[in-house]
Amino acid sequence: MARSSELSDNVPVAMSPDLIALAQGGSGVAVASSDNRGAPILGLAVGCRVKPDGSLRVLLGRRPNEALIAALERDRAVAVTVTATRDHTSFQVKASRARLCAACSDDLPEMDRQISLFRDGLVEIGYSPRQAAGYSVYDPDDLVAVELVPERVFTQTPGPGAGTELPR
Amino acid sequence: MTAQRIDGLRRALEGVMASVLATCDADGVPNVSMISQVHYVDPERVALSYQFFNKTRRNVMATQRAAVLVTDPGTLSHYRLELAFEETRTGGPLFESMKAKLAGIASHHGVEDVFRLLGADIYRVLSIDQVPGPILPPETDRPSLLAATRRTFASLDACGDLDDLLDGVTACLEREFGIAWSMVLMAGTEDGRLYTVASRGYSTTGVGAEVAPGEGVIGVAAQENTPIRIGHMTREYRYGAAISEIARRSGVVCDAPRLIPFPGLAAPRSQIALPIAAEGQVVGVLFAESDEVMRFGYEEEDALALVAAHLGARMLLLRKEAADEIAEDPDASPPSGDHVTVRFFRADQSVFLGNDYLIKGVAGAILWRLLNEHRDSGRTEFTTRELRLDPSLRLPLHSENLDARLILLRKRLEERGGCLRIEKSGRGRFRLVASSAITLEEPDLREAGS
Repeated sequence: MARSSELSDNVPVAMSPDLIALAQGGSGVAVASSDNRGAPILGLAVGCRVKPDGSLRVLLGRRPNEALIAALERDRAVAVTVTATRDHTSFQVKASRARLCAACSDDLPEMDRQISLFRDGLVEIGYSPRQAAGYSVYDPDDLVAVELVPERVFTQTPGPGAGTELPR
Repeated sequence: MTAQRIDGLRRALEGVMASVLATCDADGVPNVSMISQVHYVDPERVALSYQFFNKTRRNVMATQRAAVLVTDPGTLSHYRLELAFEETRTGGPLFESMKAKLAGIASHHGVEDVFRLLGADIYRVLSIDQVPGPILPPETDRPSLLAATRRTFASLDACGDLDDLLDGVTACLEREFGIAWSMVLMAGTEDGRLYTVASRGYSTTGVGAEVAPGEGVIGVAAQENTPIRIGHMTREYRYGAAISEIARRSGVVCDAPRLIPFPGLAAPRSQIALPIAAEGQVVGVLFAESDEVMRFGYEEEDALALVAAHLGARMLLLRKEAADEIAEDPDASPPSGDHVTVRFFRADQSVFLGNDYLIKGVAGAILWRLLNEHRDSGRTEFTTRELRLDPSLRLPLHSENLDARLILLRKRLEERGGCLRIEKSGRGRFRLVASSAITLEEPDLREAGS
């Protein structure tokens, strides 16, 4: 697997327990970067984990996200937005670069757990079980991990105050 | 570059599944957010609402580029759309449609002043890429909306009066479109409120229930003269609720959210309201709702908009035919049965049967006129024409108002199940049937004279 360069040396912005719970609680996770022309590229992730050192480990399918992964391999900046299915509470993490890693064995049970919560959340807000299951499906053999140090964190819940940056 | 056509993706633009928007600043730093809707504009363009996403807005102004990811709710196939910003519209039909939908959502949460559309950002679609991945087989049991619309037109064409037409259209919605809950509301009250004249599927008819202009999807559809569709009430409720909570904490709004002031589903998941127009004026609203998520899509909106337009045309035709009717001679028949006192209050033209409220406004004035004439002359047969020409009733300009008021009055009397009925007795004619002796009182006059 091609790897991008090392992570930023910046001290990660500390995420509160609430944000960590949101990140690992079966939320929707969207990832964006940019191509060489500066045009946005985006994709959906399966889930994410917050590591003890404060870095974020985002799991996504390689095949559905080839252009996004290629951009990250070229050290393009990255943004990750986590959104709760039940109430749209949301936050965004930005980093100047990310590191690509192979998914490891303990990623899979965690992704299964998160995707199960995600699926339940979709049904709770009105999606049919068929839709929720179809929307949540992923190929465990295709997963790749994207690790990044949160350099900036923003509240993203729609409304007054959306886009407010949390203290670094 | 070959134009990208997105007509085939309209289901993915319904917003059933959350859409994602990404932009970059001039340095290529991305920004990504969930968005409530990607609006279909035409085969080559979409529109995004410009409201809160300030960073997104700044990025778009700087780079003119965006990318969205949308999902077909049937197949769960994802599509990436590469977009080039063209313009921001702050007026016109598209803006009004998006603004009204947003206003309809916001009104359910009491945050009309916060949840505001500042502009409709129009984008040209540069490319469409289907995201590789498993998809579900498309549903094959979807009915033909075009055939359903054609059959509905034929049914409405067979209706000989407004009463049949209004009940007929809700019956058609159920029979042809499988829409179990629907209403027809008429416009034209003095204060611009709409009132329910026909409904189907509810435990109570809701006849006479009123909606203020601009209130909910119905009031906004009437006010803006554009179809309003909320396809995922639960999601959008929660979306609005998240905003509402933040707004209240910020002290932006203080009032509790208002509820829809008419009988309807306690927890609808989809609603659609289509203005009924005649000669360019909104004369009513056709409303339907469902407990299913995303029950009404772009295709259903198109079909029901055709039904509402045909309904308006049929109303106009019936009105013109009724205007040609000649008044018939009165026909007296004696009342019988028990006794009831009917009270009329001039202040709001309200009518009470005994001590029970019946109706108010123009419909109340009509009933009071009929009862007085019945008392003075024994007459029971009346024509809509004579009412239309009676200046004392101060009828609004559109004659549908008179017919709709009579329907409202007839249904209210039916619901009371009491001593008074109104029956159709021919084209443009109706009969007042009193099964009790009637005493008329005007407490206002008595008090004024004492």
